[in-house]
Amino acid sequence: MAQLEPTALDLPLVAARRGINVGRIRVPGWLALLLRNRKSRTGLLIVAFMVVVALISPLISVAHPNDFNILATRQAPSWHHLFGTTDQGSDVFSQVVVGARRSLALGALAGALATVVAAVLGIAAAYVGGIVDEIVNLLTNVFLTIPAIPLLVVASGYLKTRGMWTMIAVIALVLWAFEARILRAQALTLKNRDFILAAKASGEPTWRVVFGELMPNMISRIAAAFVLVFYIALLVDSGLEFLGLGDQSATSWGVTIYWAQVNSTVLQGEWWPFMFPSLALGLTVLGLVLVLAGIDEVSNPRLRTERTERRSRLAALLGGKAFTR
Amino acid sequence: MSVLEVRDLSKTFPIGGALRRQRVHAVEGVSFSLRPGTITALVGESGSGKSTVARLIARLYDPSSGAVLFEEDDVAQARRRKDVLHYRSQVQLIFQDPFGSLNPVKTVRHHIERPLRIHGIVPSQQIEGRVHELLQTVGLVPAGEVADKYPHELSGGQRQRVAIARALAVEPKVVLADEPTSMLDVSIRIGILNLMLKLKEERNIAFLYVTHDLASARYIADDILVMYAGQIVERGPAEQVLAEPLHPYTRLLLAAVHGERITERGSGGSAAVDPVAGCRFVSRCPLAIPVCSEITPELVEARPGQAARCHVTAPAT
Amino acid sequence: MTVLEAPAGTKTLLEVRGLEVEYGNVRAVDGVNLHIGTGEILGVAGESGCGKSTVANAIMQILRPPARIVGGSIVFQGEDLTGKSQEDLRRFRWRNVSMVFQSAMNALNPVMRVGDQFVDMMQAHERISKHRAIVRAGELLELVGMDKRRVRAYPHELSGGMRQRVIIAMALALSPELVILDEPTTALDVVVQREILQEVEALKRDLGFAVLFITHDLSLLLEFADRIAIMYAGEIVETAPSATLASAPLHPYTQGLLQSFPPLTGPRVRLSGIPGAPPDLRDMPSGCRFHPRCPHCLPENAALHLRQTSERPRLRETAAGHSVACHLVDA
Repeated sequence: MAQLEPTALDLPLVAARRGINVGRIRVPGWLALLLRNRKSRTGLLIVAFMVVVALISPLISVAHPNDFNILATRQAPSWHHLFGTTDQGSDVFSQVVVGARRSLALGALAGALATVVAAVLGIAAAYVGGIVDEIVNLLTNVFLTIPAIPLLVVASGYLKTRGMWTMIAVIALVLWAFEARILRAQALTLKNRDFILAAKASGEPTWRVVFGELMPNMISRIAAAFVLVFYIALLVDSGLEFLGLGDQSATSWGVTIYWAQVNSTVLQGEWWPFMFPSLALGLTVLGLVLVLAGIDEVSNPRLRTERTERRSRLAALLGGKAFTR
Repeated sequence: MSVLEVRDLSKTFPIGGALRRQRVHAVEGVSFSLRPGTITALVGESGSGKSTVARLIARLYDPSSGAVLFEEDDVAQARRRKDVLHYRSQVQLIFQDPFGSLNPVKTVRHHIERPLRIHGIVPSQQIEGRVHELLQTVGLVPAGEVADKYPHELSGGQRQRVAIARALAVEPKVVLADEPTSMLDVSIRIGILNLMLKLKEERNIAFLYVTHDLASARYIADDILVMYAGQIVERGPAEQVLAEPLHPYTRLLLAAVHGERITERGSGGSAAVDPVAGCRFVSRCPLAIPVCSEITPELVEARPGQAARCHVTAPAT
Repeated sequence: MTVLEAPAGTKTLLEVRGLEVEYGNVRAVDGVNLHIGTGEILGVAGESGCGKSTVANAIMQILRPPARIVGGSIVFQGEDLTGKSQEDLRRFRWRNVSMVFQSAMNALNPVMRVGDQFVDMMQAHERISKHRAIVRAGELLELVGMDKRRVRAYPHELSGGMRQRVIIAMALALSPELVILDEPTTALDVVVQREILQEVEALKRDLGFAVLFITHDLSLLLEFADRIAIMYAGEIVETAPSATLASAPLHPYTQGLLQSFPPLTGPRVRLSGIPGAPPDLRDMPSGCRFHPRCPHCLPENAALHLRQTSERPRLRETAAGHSVACHLVDA
């Protein structure tokens, strides 16, 4: 798992503060940086592709994903059913593209929630110190020691409802502690920097120092935290669904795989209800991992593996003189 | 006459391993006052406590004992936000590291605007104009262009000027400059020092110039305070102290800077950690006599206006 | 390019000709010529971004990518270093030339005793038993004015000044002919600084090594160096014996630098320093690199101004041992 050591200064992101103009389109600095880096560029394209697919899914799915057609069960992929059909006759392609909506939304929201909680608690603990720090550390330690998967299994086993929001809450609950520790560490390194002291000495109220001066210097780490939790949430959620602990009537990748497994499709040589949702999941996670690796490299120049000589025309277009002043 | 007075200021920090049993007396019994329109140099080596004094006055730490009096009130005791805010609008601090003291993700404009907004110095419509004025005052032109820049787009000297402009925004009576030029290239230092002189003359500000560089202290300071191991060991008019130093430490510093041969006896280092009675300079002093190891000398005015803490050169009578 | 002759009577130990170093595609060192004779102290003064540390690293052949030498030669005792194999360089480093880096005192291994670090270093270069190495370490510490029992100390038990002496002792361990000092005293108190430099001077007299002393503090060089080279934006702009540089500097940058040190004695005068700042290496001024800051570059003198802004001045010898790269002097 690519992890950042807390970087004290988001210098490259700062350097890209200024957006650049590609033709007539204004590209914000951070986006241009991520597009320049090969890893994150690939990752962003993959994720963007999946998001677009999810958004236009009603338009491209042939049939309602839950429609079953007993006349067309267990059919291998064909032009009519691109990804084949399940044992109930449902179109796998539709299930995958529509399922993308729920899977991606759940992952993103769980990621966002966990990151917000981690950032608020971690940064507050670092800056305020004292009893607040003690309490947050205690909470973090408790949540870190509890094994995540068993906790999730137990929690979702006992839950009455397994709606999307419940799953989001449960996953965020398990994942926030890890990032909170990291964000707290970075905030600690920033807290005694002269510019924070200068803001204090100017008379800035504490909340403004934390949110207005300190947090903006942690953007790349917070973004990395979000991406990380996003893809872990995706995997965890799909994993729970696969185990039958998700909402079995929902349309999502994990559920499709669950039904495929329950109906022993692979044993019967029907690989498609199993393979396509797995590929979709794997591809999305790959995309997110690449984005994370790109953020790491951009934030920490020592991790960079790109050679300066080999640059694609796109990178040359987006990089070079635009960033040197 | 004095705008800020420091009385018997002391600050100790716990140090030493896991149990933190030792205490370093970073600042001990420091007293002096700052007068409007003058520059007072606080000179000493690293570990002398000079930066700590500046930060105590700026209320970045609370003193262990003693008082910081501004307009007759002890600000170290002030707790109400209103009082603290008022003090912060009158006493400003400039840091040593020109890059570290500016927020890397914020523009120059942001840095200068914030104090203006916090203290309501001018109404909103006039803020941009005031930002430009301040940039011009510190010599950063064209102001409109500079205001949009980020710290990493400026040179060290320019960043320090931004820090000075930020300090000036609140129209302070006192500016504490903590080694403002030591991290700048030699050829730019004079520019910053000249700027401080100009501000002293035009705005009647009282400057406390913390430095380890005696030559620059002579260049701009009216008065000089020499610190060693947390204590003031000599004070007086800058020219006088540097021409005829009383304290052996001041003499040693001058000898080193003048390029004379020096013969050391022992080394300083930890004189401020759990100090015992007696002069803290005794292990390095060529003039030491028995009483120096037993009784801590007081600051005694041995010549008009010039005082030193030394049993030999400034004995108490 | 003029070849600068070593003063009569000394052998040239190191000669750097036309050195060019680039970081990626930014040129940090652009055609530098230097020479050092045996037992001589050459000072190189310059501000941030002038490339002086890069020159030192190039001489030691320790440049790391993306920095690389793209031109010129470095000849030590008649042998060109740029062509040598890694194995030869490894033997050359420390034995013939050693270096004291910036902040080297913070580069000591915090979990090893000082003596053990000496042993490590010595055993990397020659076959020597641990016992003998420790004895030699003790001797070296005494050489730099420390108690030899400090061999058993850990770095954090020593003050900054003492650690710097340890580093200097390590640099002298194999009796090199040339020692490069890169900002050896910047982080130290002025008193300690003075002691260390006095120590180095005494050692030089006794052991006979030459010194390449790199610093931004010209005043130190005026005192300790035999000759001084002033670097600006990747080039040498003036070279002269210290006394001559102090009394009759020719390049406006040198003059400006000398004007930047407030005097401790004599009348208190207002100084002017040098306006502007050293240039960004990626965005170098055309022609003479100092021209935006030069008080003698004025549009009124049209012909001269044209030369100053379009043509790079070349280093020319104006008097014995004194060279300047300046259009004002050429004209």
